[in-house]
Amino acid sequence: MNMPLLATKLYIPLPRTHVVRRPRLIEQLNEGLNGKLTLVSASAGFGKTTLIGDWIAGCGRPAAWLSLDKGDNDANRFLVHFVAALQTIEDSFGRSSVNALQSQQPPSTETILTMLLNEISAHPHKFVFVLDDYHQIDAEWLGDSIAFLLDHLPAQMHLVIATRENPQLPLGRLRARGHLSELREADLRFTPGEAAAFLDQAMGLSLTADETNALETRTEGWIAGLQLAALSMKGHKDIPSFIREFAGDNRYIMDYLVEEVLQRQSESIRSFLLRTSILDRLHGPLCDAVAGQEEGNARLELLERGNFFVVPLDDKRRWYRYHHLFAEVLHMHLKADHPDQVAMLHLRASVWYEQNGMAADAIRHSLAAEDYVRTADLVEQAIPSLRRNRDEIAMLGWIQALPVELIRFRPVLCVWYAGALLAGGRLEAVEDRLRDAERWLLALADQNGRQQALSAGMIVLDEEEFRRLPGLITVYRAGLALVLGNVQAVQQYARKALELVPEEDGLPRGAATALLGLASWRSGDLEEARRMFAEGLTRVKQAGAVSDAINGANAIAVICMAQGRLREAMRTYERGLQLAVEHGDPNLRGTADIYVGMSEIYRELNDLRAAERHLLKSKEQGAHAGFPQFRYRWCISMSRLREAQGDLNGALDLLLEAENLFASDFFLDVRPTAALKTRLRILQGRLGGALDWVRDQGLSVQDDLCYAREFEHVTLARVLLAQNKIDHADRSLRDALELLGRLLQEAEAGGRIGSMIEIQVVQAIAHHMQGDTPAALRQLERSLTLAEPEGYVRTFVDEGQPMANLLEIAANQGIAPAYARRLLAALGRVDTLREPRTKPFKKLLLEPLSERERDVLRFLATDLSGPDIARELIISLNTLRTHTKNIYDKLEANSRREAVRRAIELGLL
Amino acid sequence: MSERNGSAEDQREHARYEIRLKGHLDSRWSGWFEGMSFSYGNDGTTVLAGRIVDQAELFGMLRKVRDLGLPLVSVIQME
Repeated sequence: MNMPLLATKLYIPLPRTHVVRRPRLIEQLNEGLNGKLTLVSASAGFGKTTLIGDWIAGCGRPAAWLSLDKGDNDANRFLVHFVAALQTIEDSFGRSSVNALQSQQPPSTETILTMLLNEISAHPHKFVFVLDDYHQIDAEWLGDSIAFLLDHLPAQMHLVIATRENPQLPLGRLRARGHLSELREADLRFTPGEAAAFLDQAMGLSLTADETNALETRTEGWIAGLQLAALSMKGHKDIPSFIREFAGDNRYIMDYLVEEVLQRQSESIRSFLLRTSILDRLHGPLCDAVAGQEEGNARLELLERGNFFVVPLDDKRRWYRYHHLFAEVLHMHLKADHPDQVAMLHLRASVWYEQNGMAADAIRHSLAAEDYVRTADLVEQAIPSLRRNRDEIAMLGWIQALPVELIRFRPVLCVWYAGALLAGGRLEAVEDRLRDAERWLLALADQNGRQQALSAGMIVLDEEEFRRLPGLITVYRAGLALVLGNVQAVQQYARKALELVPEEDGLPRGAATALLGLASWRSGDLEEARRMFAEGLTRVKQAGAVSDAINGANAIAVICMAQGRLREAMRTYERGLQLAVEHGDPNLRGTADIYVGMSEIYRELNDLRAAERHLLKSKEQGAHAGFPQFRYRWCISMSRLREAQGDLNGALDLLLEAENLFASDFFLDVRPTAALKTRLRILQGRLGGALDWVRDQGLSVQDDLCYAREFEHVTLARVLLAQNKIDHADRSLRDALELLGRLLQEAEAGGRIGSMIEIQVVQAIAHHMQGDTPAALRQLERSLTLAEPEGYVRTFVDEGQPMANLLEIAANQGIAPAYARRLLAALGRVDTLREPRTKPFKKLLLEPLSERERDVLRFLATDLSGPDIARELIISLNTLRTHTKNIYDKLEANSRREAVRRAIELGLL
Repeated sequence: MSERNGSAEDQREHARYEIRLKGHLDSRWSGWFEGMSFSYGNDGTTVLAGRIVDQAELFGMLRKVRDLGLPLVSVIQME
């Protein structure tokens, strides 16, 4: 962040010495303080900024000011400025938000605003916050964020918005509730009296009443027009005739008057005005550089004193700007009259900014000068700092403005560009850019290669970045291979990348490790995959990429489930959520996916209410809290939940919806929608559709087996069993059993206990259908033994009646009797021989803590007193007590100390 | 409805528009309003006329009008 420039955005314009007092508007503004929002909405040149500045000086409340510009369309940048403005009220505002904003993956805008609102509500004094030039931002999020801010605005703060067009806010609602006061064009126009006072006092012109009236009529009270008219008249020999001509002319006031004004200036002032019109901020030395003159500071001061539409941006009179409208007209004159100078002027500005260490402005002017070589140089040099400041969006915009031909000779830019393209899913150009970069790597080999590359036109400005390229290129290649489904290539590239990337370069190493994990996952080596993900997670977390770490936790948990380790999966999810909380944003990207995953576990445990709650929670968070496949996975999980609740049609609808949402990503799709649909069809007794699926997928009992198709093959076995129920042909049963036997072997070899449990369940059912009850019980017993420690329920219950019959026999024969009875109870079989229930999940809470309860729990572990905690969380003491009581209940604790101890045991703290 | 949508679809590319402003805007502004011709009415208005690629371009142009503080009288899509 460039501090001097930042300060200019926060500067509150001081009232001009000769400003026209406007008591009627000041009064309106004062009354507006009773509401939440004052909207000052009018076209350019109606004196919005001046009026608000004048009012603030006397309104009796401190004020914060933020002048917005196009750059604030970037939410992160906006928030940094917003916090900085708040800090002019109270130093300590937003300290933690600033830290969060500067991290690799900043929390959502809403989270930051909530943090700030909490601090504001604890502030002892009332203040005013002005957002000037609000129309500069057209990004959609701004309206949402400001509406959110207004909804929760504490009485301490009053917001003023000055804008050229109505903001995208629920103005009707605000108006109806009396929260909004408005000053619009009709209010802001100078009345004849104000116009007279302005011309007389502010501009020092003594005019007759008729002359004043004529000017007021011609300008319709438009202040910029009157000011410019007054400037034109200064030193005019024949004021009456000027007014006559002006009043009788139809031309756009600005055209007419700027010409008038420019004509009366010396050549050097005229040239200064025109040339510096390319700048959005004026600063003496910068103006000197651009205008090719000297004494820029003195000139700016002179212009300000002469009412020349020059607005100071700080107390020390170091930075100014032209009134926007005036600048626009000047710029038009420059372009129309001296088109050949424009590029040269931008170039001068670019050089000055570069020499003064302001890269973004240097690049902006260089692009405006259409000097692409220079721009490419500047961008390449800025890569490390831009990466640190997370300014990738601006960066990508700049690179895309450059001709590809030029980028191709710059390996560092090429690779950076490729990475950005890969992240954006634009695969076709990735390989091209990587190849472009690669042909220059010979320069790394030896002096000879270097000479060769340089003589072929290679340009490298940042040697350090250049040396990183071989590693980065290989990582990107591995990523590309994975998207294209080439597992072997992923492993090759990722391994090579780990050799190439130095130990301390966390992010690319973490990426390569995770890619290896994904490749192992695809080929069914779950243990290796889990190890890789865990290692990658640690690395990306250390590098500050928390969302990526959460995504890693997600993958680990899914793998745990396949391995039949539900508890471990749940703990992994909880750790993932914890990462987000520690990072200061419980809705960090990836957390929504975690809630979906947790709901899957709860569904398996047959806690359908908890499963539904978690799904609703993730939906509430919204798609931005999830990775691209979030909505797809959500539909799948909701469908399985509906199925468990007995709503097969609802389940099917959700699967159809999921199908439309599917977009390939890096994760393995362990349960393809088509197979899930087939299982539903079997349940609905629609065998025809199921057989169609078998045919369409080309599935057969003789297939070679692999993990990626395991779910489909188990589904095939189920189709065969369903067929047997209809045709009673031994063949389909035998085929199913043979396939299941092979599947079991594979699953066992791969350590996929989760798969084994299901396969054995289906085997038991098949044997039962065959009439071979001893064999059925044997398989069931094996399955129960594997499933009991983890508390599986749905895998058995979903089989319905046949399973209930088998379980009853099992229980009576003493096969896992307690567990079998529990499952029978879940199946609705009343159990007369109820034994004391074993606690199914000693290490896991049956009723999980709500997010708020987690918040409270974290404070319970501190030294803070109850009232202090309540204050921190902005809840009443009573609410806090309720939360605390719930926490004790859920943790089965009787005291704060015990609760904390239990929480630590359970890994909740 | 669908018919109207259809015709809008066809004309989306390069529909001709006339933007009428209050006040005579110097033709030197034509660089700002690229591709638009300037003509002046006796009633003191300026008409910018020309083909506009799509709605985004139209709104961009209206925004420029806004930034000049020029009163907008009418925007008409010509057949």
